[in-house]
Amino acid sequence: MPMKGRFPIRRTLEYLQKGEVVFKNSVKIMTVNYNTQGELSEGARKFVFFNVPQIQYKNPWVQIMMFKNMTPSPFIRFYLDDGQQVLVDTEGKDYREITQHIKKIMGKTPEVLQAEALAKMVASNPANFGPKKYCLKECMCEVEGQVPCPGVVPLPKEMTGKWRAQMRAAED
Amino acid sequence: MQKTVKVRVTRLVLDTYLLKYYNKRKTYFAHDALEQCTVGDVVLLKALPERRTKHVTHELAEVVYKVGNVVDPLTGKRVAAYQYLEPLSDPAELSAERLTEKIQQLNLTATATPSH
Repeated sequence: MPMKGRFPIRRTLEYLQKGEVVFKNSVKIMTVNYNTQGELSEGARKFVFFNVPQIQYKNPWVQIMMFKNMTPSPFIRFYLDDGQQVLVDTEGKDYREITQHIKKIMGKTPEVLQAEALAKMVASNPANFGPKKYCLKECMCEVEGQVPCPGVVPLPKEMTGKWRAQMRAAED
Repeated sequence: MQKTVKVRVTRLVLDTYLLKYYNKRKTYFAHDALEQCTVGDVVLLKALPERRTKHVTHELAEVVYKVGNVVDPLTGKRVAAYQYLEPLSDPAELSAERLTEKIQQLNLTATATPSH
């Protein structure tokens, strides 16, 4: 698929995964009000164009809605779990400033993110073998550098139980 | 239908091939006890702990923007797209005496500030 349109890099998985903002669990809805014309909404427009896909990718369970040309001044509103609302004025701000501000007020801190990543790693122990749902590998033969599966490649004669039994019988 | 509103909710869904987000619509029926909504209002829904009837699963939490009567949350004034319908500051506040009072309260002095 060729890269079509303005800034097609926004439509790559790598760009989406590079999003920095991961919202806290209490944030349920994010609403962006901005105008299609005017210098004051420029930052909000760029924010919606560049950063909202990244935010939605990292927070798939947050509902994001855009409202255009409803009020003269642009703002962002968050609706939290307990009914609280957080209002962020974005008039005249740069889209990078807006992202940093949102990350500071509503985002998870790097420590919390690291702790979560660690907890996820603990769940997947490479030393365990079993069904794909619970473990990484099902059998030792799938690991690189180990003896391949005898169902695919026959084992050398010396490793088969049949040969070992014959040798043991020959010794006696 | 009494005391029920049909609400269209849009969520952004990623198209797997284009890797672009599009609005996906879903309609919900919400319980509106006071029947205060009209067509075109933007509304906040809250999920009910248990299903009220076969289709009604949510209730109206608040009307966010009433159609034709949008209030700007930053200033609290009524607004219509690009303009404010109400004046931002009280006309009495803009008289000469009030403005000079405010300037005197600020206590500005003409000392030279050190340059960077």
